[in-house]
Amino acid sequence: MEPIELRHRARRAYELGRARLGAKAAGAALLIAAAAVALGRPPELTALLCAALAALVAALAFRGGASARAVTAGLAAGSGAMLLPLVLMTAGCSMFGPASMRFCVPACVVAGGVVGAALALLAAREEHGAREFLLAGIAVAAVTASFGCTLGGAAGVVGMALGTVAAGAPVWLAARAHR
Amino acid sequence: MDRGARAALQREMCRLADGDRAAFEPVFAALWPVLRAFAARALPVPAEAEDAAQCALIKVFSRAAEFDASREALPWALGIAAYECRTLRKARSRRREELRAPPEPADERTSEDAAIERDLVAAAAEVMRGLSVLDQETLLAAGRGERESSSTFRKRLERALARFRKQWRARHGAD
Repeated sequence: MEPIELRHRARRAYELGRARLGAKAAGAALLIAAAAVALGRPPELTALLCAALAALVAALAFRGGASARAVTAGLAAGSGAMLLPLVLMTAGCSMFGPASMRFCVPACVVAGGVVGAALALLAAREEHGAREFLLAGIAVAAVTASFGCTLGGAAGVVGMALGTVAAGAPVWLAARAHR
Repeated sequence: MDRGARAALQREMCRLADGDRAAFEPVFAALWPVLRAFAARALPVPAEAEDAAQCALIKVFSRAAEFDASREALPWALGIAAYECRTLRKARSRRREELRAPPEPADERTSEDAAIERDLVAAAAEVMRGLSVLDQETLLAAGRGERESSSTFRKRLERALARFRKQWRARHGAD
């Protein structure tokens, strides 16, 4: 094999390896979506959000860098935020009946706040590409959390986003200033 | 590879694992000669060594995205190359064993076999001619499979065979 051809093959193998990494991240998104459906979320809406999440995490993981490192953190943080309103709804349904829905929006705001603070702390630790990490992490966490936060409709998602920014921004600024 | 080159390879490999495509060329340039030399030492046939080195290089890049930065890059790459060399060596020894396997027995008889058979038939015919007509008929009938089930025929066949052996030994000295 000629050295140029070998170089091309090696490059292709590397890109395929990165694509495999992206596929694994997309697989994790599928698992989270399956968990959301198992917890009672509507399959159609979940499938739509899952497709968006899988494409996002696959692209970020394939691209590499800080955004790829943010995928795992974003999925983990987003899963926690997704579970909070779902757990509250499950418990609330048995405790308070249909009125339990009123807990969902505040739960989404709280979950968003926790996600924002956690991702801001992790991003501040990044030596290179902290902003990229934060943006990618928030994007992944937001889509993941929306599996659960859509319980409260658009208000739930907006509440979560507000919570993320409100809690994340000061933590981020404080962590950067500390460094 | 000296310590400085190893450290540089480690640094570039970590960048490549992180998705920095700019690290591809330095890693390629550092690893290819090392893997080639390693395979040449491990495999005696140059063409096989070249194949093993190329396969190892492709695998290293295929797994580069999963490279654990806490591990050393050079031993990791050499481990992949060693595995490739071992696989090639095993494949070669398997091929050699297949080539060494005993050939299936041939159905075709050689001309030597045919000549031996002709000589034996001629010798047996000569011995038969020295026997009585009754003995000849008995032996020929037994040879054709036309054996009678009677005890008379069996005894006659035994006696004819005994006389045939005696004549054979007298002429050729063995059974």
